Amino acid sequence: MSRLKLPPWLVLLLPAIIILMAVVLVPLVLSFYSSFTAYQLTRPDSLTKWIGTFNYRKAAGDANFWWAFGRTVLLLTIALNLEMLLGLGLAVMVSKVTTGQRLLRTAMMFPMMFSPVLVGFQFKFIFNDNVGLVNNALQSLGLTDVAIPWLVDGHLAMFSIIFAEIWTSTSVFAILILAGLYAIPQDPVEAAKVDGCTPWQSFRFVTLPFLMPFIYIAMAIRSLDVARAYDIVQIMTNGGPARRTELLWTLIGRTAYVDARMGYANAMGYIAILLSIFFTIYFFRKLTAARSELGMGV
Amino acid sequence: MNRLAMTSCLALAAMGMATAASADGEFAGITIEAKLIGGQQYEALYARIPEWEKATGATVKIISQKNHFELDKEFKSDIAAGTTDWCVGSNHSSFAAQYPSLYTDLTPLVPAGEVAEYVPANISAATLDGKLVMLPRAQFDVSALYYQKSLYTDPAKAEAFKAKYGYDLAVPETWDQVRDQAEFFSNPPNFYGTQYAGKDEAIVGRFYEMVVADGGKLFNDDFSPAFNSDAGKQALQWFVDLYKAGAVPPGTTNYLWDDLGNGFASGTIGLNLDWPGWAGFFNDASASKAAGNVGVAPAPKGSAGLRTGWSGFHGFSVTEDCANKAAAASLALFLTSEDSQILESSTGPLPTRTKVWEHVAEAAKSDPYRSEVLAAFQETAKTAFAVPATPYWIEATNLIYPELQAAILGDKSVDDALATASDAVDNLMRENGVY
Repeated sequence: MSRLKLPPWLVLLLPAIIILMAVVLVPLVLSFYSSFTAYQLTRPDSLTKWIGTFNYRKAAGDANFWWAFGRTVLLLTIALNLEMLLGLGLAVMVSKVTTGQRLLRTAMMFPMMFSPVLVGFQFKFIFNDNVGLVNNALQSLGLTDVAIPWLVDGHLAMFSIIFAEIWTSTSVFAILILAGLYAIPQDPVEAAKVDGCTPWQSFRFVTLPFLMPFIYIAMAIRSLDVARAYDIVQIMTNGGPARRTELLWTLIGRTAYVDARMGYANAMGYIAILLSIFFTIYFFRKLTAARSELGMGV
Repeated sequence: MNRLAMTSCLALAAMGMATAASADGEFAGITIEAKLIGGQQYEALYARIPEWEKATGATVKIISQKNHFELDKEFKSDIAAGTTDWCVGSNHSSFAAQYPSLYTDLTPLVPAGEVAEYVPANISAATLDGKLVMLPRAQFDVSALYYQKSLYTDPAKAEAFKAKYGYDLAVPETWDQVRDQAEFFSNPPNFYGTQYAGKDEAIVGRFYEMVVADGGKLFNDDFSPAFNSDAGKQALQWFVDLYKAGAVPPGTTNYLWDDLGNGFASGTIGLNLDWPGWAGFFNDASASKAAGNVGVAPAPKGSAGLRTGWSGFHGFSVTEDCANKAAAASLALFLTSEDSQILESSTGPLPTRTKVWEHVAEAAKSDPYRSEVLAAFQETAKTAFAVPATPYWIEATNLIYPELQAAILGDKSVDDALATASDAVDNLMRENGVY
């Protein structure tokens, strides 16, 4: 009896393949399969109850799901752009500092060190209408004599969440852009000065194009993060009130773990992944274009 | 001897009796894994567990301690993963129906005489599909009306109120009076007449009891939605009116129990429908600005002349997959025994054993505040009712509460909101083959 002999390359790759299958492929296939079933956490036998595309059709026809989808895109667009602008400004300022730059860089990273759950509680308290810091400060300064419902008003609640997201993650942009600023070759910058460019012109036409690949990498990373936004929103508003701040993952999380409808939640999750795939492809295309513009190849 | 010392002595004496009831070393060498509700008010009881361990020879290993909402998620994950061989779990009457396969029937494990010692209404609510799924602990919850007494002692206020509303200012007996008084007392942003839980199951529970008090029902007998009715509209309108009038904090739709308790303790809320567990906190000068000024009255009545009385209670259950059900049931019985309930109820929570009610009433005689609290809650408990016994209760509340909020915040009319919520619950029940 001859023993099965695997080619050496496969033997070498096998441990990695097995690990990847176990931690990525199996859960992925199982969750995808369950999205076609009536699977409920509290009824394990429902995992075999095949219902075809019912969950997908239900999600596609559910206005609340699409509103949550739209809100997630809105949050992503606003938070990402503001974080990029603030991170860029922060990085440029820090790069100009000659003394204590290391200290500033460390301080800049503090918000990233907080758990999102803690950030959620912190801003829930800050924006509380009755005992919160913001309202108390505004009332003490005589700027208002009403209790502003920061976490209730349709616009203010979304603003409060975006504020918390920006506070905690602007430094991701700042750190990556700062790395980009250090990597810029000085010759083109000096040549621009010699050619009589203003500081704005040399920033806009020389520095910024060099920074764009770094910005797009930061955008790609953060777009995946924000598209999965959950912890902060869950704690600050739990998607409410009246679904005013409901995002994809607060809705999916509640459906999966509170309502126990894992099959339906997985179907919504797979539709939601399209959003992450779209933004990832978009930013990687932008990154490739920015790199080829700089002659860095693709 | 002061009241606390007397209660402690009684508790200790009772502890001795209960420990003696278990045969020495009956469960020697057995380890019982438990998932228990965590939180300061619940944990004094767990300090008694070594007593049971000593008496039975078994060991208790607490493998999870979280609030009920987190435990609920964990239980659901355990059921899905098939990891339900731990033995004792904290349970709650509002959640119990969701786990039809998780917990075993305690009837063959607990002597009938012992079961008869609990308040019959609690045992009835703990029995689902003929299975006694949990033994109730001394954490019976029904809400009564806490109020600031000083609001009713100012003659100028009383005169102004009578001039505006045409009747005497007194502690409210109906929810219509609560609405009038809340609007009258409010002086935002410094003082609000009242407040209510504004999200999740909490607001649906409040709405549910108001619908009942107004003569309606949340569900029909077949669990089809019944709240899109005149009583339902009247009940929801009460919440809407208060919000529109600025008689509740503008953030109330984001509030849950802790926000409400801390709000009343901050002294900025006049009337507060709340649970018995807060009684001590509200009157504790080191924690509450309302201390010394707190009155407690039975829950007011709705337009049908019925009191609101949404109630629930905590308990302990034994899993179906537990390898040592007898030992686990013994632990559940110990944690809900007379002595355990005396210990727990000595700090405020209401018991679920008939004899302990009598004991608590006796112990409170020397404390006027505690007597007032007990009288108010006892009166409310007489007509209390549990949540509908459907496994889809929590899921239904998740469909109803955003619509209630939408009406309160003015995004939808009361009619629209209730019609949408009713359709959603109807779909849920049909999809699950309930009818």
